[in-house]
Amino acid sequence: MQPLEPLHNFLPQVWFFILGLFLFLYVLLDGFDLGVGILSLTAKGEERRTILMTSLGNVWDANETWLVLMGGSLFGAFPLAYATILNALYLPLVLMVVGLILRAVSFEFRENAEHKMVWNITFGVGSFLAALGQGFALGTVFEGIKVDEAGHFAGGMWDWLTWHSVIVALTLIQGYVLIGSTYLILKTTGELQNTYYRTATIATWTTLAGAVFITVTTPILWGHARELLFSRPLVYVFAAIPVLGVLLIIALLRSLQLRQEVAPLVYTFLIFALSFIGLGFLIFPNIIPPSVTIYEAAAAPSSLVFMLTFVGFLIPILLGYNIYNYAVFRGKIVVESQ
Amino acid sequence: MLDVLSDTVTLSRLQFALTAVFHMLWPVLTTGMAIYLVIVEALWLKTRNITYYHHARFWTKLYVLNFGIGVASGLPMAFQFGLNWAPFSEAVGDFFGTLLGFEGTMAFMLEASFLGIMVFGWERVPPVVHFLSTVLVAIGANLSTFWILTANSWLQTPAGGFFANGKFVVQDYFQAIVNPFMINSFLHMFFATLETALFVIGGISAWYLLKQRDGEFFSRSFKIVLVALILVAPLQIVLGHWSADQVYHYQPTKLAAMEALWETIPANTPADWSLLALPNQQLETNTWELKVPGLLSYLLELKPALDTPILGLKHWAPQDRPQMVGMVYYSFRIMIAIGVFFVVLMLVTVLAWVRGKLTPAALAQNKWLLWSWIFAGPLGYIAVECGWMVRCIGRQPWLVYGELRTVESASHVPPGVVLFSLSGLMVMYAIFFVVTLYFGQKIIQKGPDLTLPVPRTALQPTLVTEPARHVPDQRPVEASQS
Repeated sequence: MQPLEPLHNFLPQVWFFILGLFLFLYVLLDGFDLGVGILSLTAKGEERRTILMTSLGNVWDANETWLVLMGGSLFGAFPLAYATILNALYLPLVLMVVGLILRAVSFEFRENAEHKMVWNITFGVGSFLAALGQGFALGTVFEGIKVDEAGHFAGGMWDWLTWHSVIVALTLIQGYVLIGSTYLILKTTGELQNTYYRTATIATWTTLAGAVFITVTTPILWGHARELLFSRPLVYVFAAIPVLGVLLIIALLRSLQLRQEVAPLVYTFLIFALSFIGLGFLIFPNIIPPSVTIYEAAAAPSSLVFMLTFVGFLIPILLGYNIYNYAVFRGKIVVESQ
Repeated sequence: MLDVLSDTVTLSRLQFALTAVFHMLWPVLTTGMAIYLVIVEALWLKTRNITYYHHARFWTKLYVLNFGIGVASGLPMAFQFGLNWAPFSEAVGDFFGTLLGFEGTMAFMLEASFLGIMVFGWERVPPVVHFLSTVLVAIGANLSTFWILTANSWLQTPAGGFFANGKFVVQDYFQAIVNPFMINSFLHMFFATLETALFVIGGISAWYLLKQRDGEFFSRSFKIVLVALILVAPLQIVLGHWSADQVYHYQPTKLAAMEALWETIPANTPADWSLLALPNQQLETNTWELKVPGLLSYLLELKPALDTPILGLKHWAPQDRPQMVGMVYYSFRIMIAIGVFFVVLMLVTVLAWVRGKLTPAALAQNKWLLWSWIFAGPLGYIAVECGWMVRCIGRQPWLVYGELRTVESASHVPPGVVLFSLSGLMVMYAIFFVVTLYFGQKIIQKGPDLTLPVPRTALQPTLVTEPARHVPDQRPVEASQS
């Protein structure tokens, strides 16, 4: 129709992809931070907890920043979605923010404290609450958000809390524990590392159970998901994902058995990536599931172009110096007993 | 009073005020202190005098403590535009959201990533790379000042587009970014963070000098601070004056509230400057007032009387002008008083220096001077908070000045839900405030570690202050090759 039509579609799609990338990096990177935090609740002894927190010392802040990037970019690129989604998820997101605050202050307070127990607890509990809040938010992606014709939130404050979202939240926590323990396998040695080989194996099975449950119930419970799942050509994608997922799980369990150090983390990353791609296909082209599309919620094309010019240019640089940060601090954590 | 608890808009405003006032306390120090850390590390690299290295290490401890709380308390700020101000977010997201996106990608990530190297990387990277990391942390911190002040200035003086059907349509991004308030507001805030940090560093140094602990060491930071303040303190007064002048030109309702000016002053009449007053909201007048004759006309246009009238609050209907006049009026005066006190203290200390009385021994005798510096330590925070209160309470009833009202901008969340998050944050923040002061005080009591060796000199680093840290893979080569 109009000459600008392709641009109108293309720009929101690019931003959908960029936001997906930010969110994916957040889930991956802060995922292991939060997993390590949750695991710290079960760690025995001050020395072990010190190792756990030291493994995150230089990276947790940057990892958490991916979420802030994602929030800011969502605000700029899809203002309607930012407003409606945050409005709908008020309570779970407050829970998440409170959790992240507790987690963040624990690092410095624990470092300076003589009695570390309080800050061990705030660190673990904060990580758990943040993961729980995110789990409920994820559950709402399946559930959908009630909106009026203008796309404004029209539901209740407790819509996010259902038996299904509880299971989604618990599954996400399992996933974080899995990725956290595979990260710790990479960063620790000896007896401590053995502990996390065991934890990772258990977490693989519990995550798998949750994933199977979500995969099976999604098309049963929601008509919009059912239609999408069985439409061509998407049906091939959705058929391939579980098959690849099972293969990756087998590879992960095998690498844990073989006591490989890097492979478990890589396989876990891939499993997360696969779930994320599946989720992306399930949501697209919506940004407020199940009814508001990216085209309806997008900012003006000029805004999207303006933002893309800067942010798009910066993404490779962001990735570059984040990788450099990891490279500088590669290797095992050791505690020097004094 | 109980009405407040059942009104979502008021509760949302209270929550924003609480989170903003509390959050401000930490970055205001760290953004300025980052520049100080750049200076001492540059001096260390240039002179190889280990004192500067120990300065970098010591002040970094306080830096990191504050930074942690700053990150934590900044999170609600990043989300509450959507949580509590959804209609606002939707109306201005095209522009305002873009700026917050820029802040994240350009500033936050830079600061967060290189902070790890700055704090933990002394043994891990070459000195130049470490210095570069410190510089990038400082750039990141000050870039967030830039973007936040740009965004806030746009709320004060919206430009670069128009509102259609309650939604802001951007026409010219450059114009929207370089809106009338932007340059001055950024500069005023940039120097505010710097000045606050300098007086905190100066105050802490003064405390050590008073206690005659590490006098030589802290007279160095004391002098660095003083040299910087010779430029910063007077400049801040000039920038502050320029800010008020802009308010006069662009935000007449705010100016009237800042001056507690109820009646319009007609043209060609000398305007008095109110020094102290007791504004009375109900009677729409000041119960009593102490004035400096004719000063306001001189302050605004350097003339005995102005050609145009200065509008008083009663010129507007009550719903179109700020309500908390007393708060705006006194916040403004407290900020000015602190700014002037800073200049005087700087001048007095420079005078002592010129007379050669700034040696640790001479300073230890000059107790009232050191006490003045200790007293000045927290004043910067108060001035900054007051300035923001003038800026944002004085902007009311508008969220976007002249375009979007605050009452129309709040999310339709049940008041109980906002009350829940508000009280939760309040309790947490109260605890964190006390705990941070306690740990800050512990770091200061403990003092600098002057035995830290030069980094990367030993083959294997031996001295560690932290119980745990990263070391490279040290397994035998054969093991890793097999």
